Amino acid sequence: MDTILYGDDSKALVRFDPRTKLFIFLSCGLTSMYTYSGIYILLFTGAICAVLALSGKPWTALKAFLLFSVALYVKEAVDRGGSPAPAVVLIVSVVTTLILYALPTILSILLIVQTTRISQFLSALSAMHLPVRVVIPIAVLFRFIPTVQDEWNGIRKAMAFRGISLSFGSVLRHPWRSIEYVLVPLLFSTVGVMEELAAAALARGMDIDVKRSSYEEMKLRAADYIAMAVFAVLAAVIILRVSTKGAAGL
Amino acid sequence: MAKKEINQTTQNDDKKMRTRDLIYAGAFGAVYIVLMLIVVLGTSAIPILYIVAPFTVGVVCATVYELCVLKVHKFGAALILGVLFALVACSGNILGMVLAIAAALAAELIIKAGNYKSRKMYLLSFLAFNLNMVCPYTMLYFHRDEFMARSVSFYGQEFADELAKYAVNGLAFIQIGLALAGAAIGVFIASKLINKHFEKANII
Repeated sequence: MDTILYGDDSKALVRFDPRTKLFIFLSCGLTSMYTYSGIYILLFTGAICAVLALSGKPWTALKAFLLFSVALYVKEAVDRGGSPAPAVVLIVSVVTTLILYALPTILSILLIVQTTRISQFLSALSAMHLPVRVVIPIAVLFRFIPTVQDEWNGIRKAMAFRGISLSFGSVLRHPWRSIEYVLVPLLFSTVGVMEELAAAALARGMDIDVKRSSYEEMKLRAADYIAMAVFAVLAAVIILRVSTKGAAGL
Repeated sequence: MAKKEINQTTQNDDKKMRTRDLIYAGAFGAVYIVLMLIVVLGTSAIPILYIVAPFTVGVVCATVYELCVLKVHKFGAALILGVLFALVACSGNILGMVLAIAAALAAELIIKAGNYKSRKMYLLSFLAFNLNMVCPYTMLYFHRDEFMARSVSFYGQEFADELAKYAVNGLAFIQIGLALAGAAIGVFIASKLINKHFEKANII
């Protein structure tokens, strides 16, 4: 099995607590509506990349940061350069905006999914005294997103092998057929994985009502507090500047 | 066969969510959200498709929702799916988040009206559930000028002009209509697919 898919922190320099990673994810959600341009959003993404690098993914972090900086630069250049060809400008600005909008959130999800083992996640969430009904669905959600991606890639390969294309045109020509061809294998394979996951969880005694002990010891350390403070300040600055001065404030 | 009998007795005995059901709800939530993101991000480059996203997502995701609620058969499956959706899709938009959870609760009540047995009520509940796709747009309805000012700097003037053409008054009602229409078509596909594939394979 590919361990990269399911969380591996053996190369981490600093082991951040899953709660810190969740905090980063939430702050990305709060700022994502404000992320159009400016130095602060570059700082914000830089901070996420730094955390990702410290958690053992330096190359992913570096690539993401370079991609983000290039997108930001291109967008600024296009905005200032006028529009000789409106269609090109429209396409370029939409693509760069998608990158600027989605990348911080995707990075924070990557941070949770790729550098956290599910047992760490469970014990950190239980340490927050959340009820089981909240903890399990959230933990399974983050555990399952890479599985769905994996199955999705496999289905696309199988479809290509059979000569069925999933391009925009073919979806437009046969919408019902495309939906069936994607949904049926995706749901069949994910339901199979779900049943295995449920059986594994029951075998580990997730069903009992007593408090569970854990091999993982989850404690908030100095690094966690520093990271949370940095993200709280950055998010507050971004939101305040935009809501007081408008878009021009950045 | 023995395994199936045990499952059925526990289902009848127990109205509360057990760990197994919570795992199903979380996992179907992941499938739902990944499909929704593929549909929305894949089409949002064209302004008109961005506006009709409630329709397209309803058509594609109905089957996932129906499988989830039909598999769990208890109070809470639709609600958990709705809360997970709200966390990912409307984070940073409190009003939208509350409305999305309210839509999920309405869906849950519709299923309850069918006593967790009626297939028609299960199918019908997606019409209420899919209204949550309208919730991320609440900003567009209530703070239209601010939203427009933002999307100028966000997507560039051309995209915003194009978007403004469709952002007419009463857009909320148009999108609710689109969400309901998409959900209706999606439910039709879902019932066909469930009859054709999933019931035969004994998945639900």
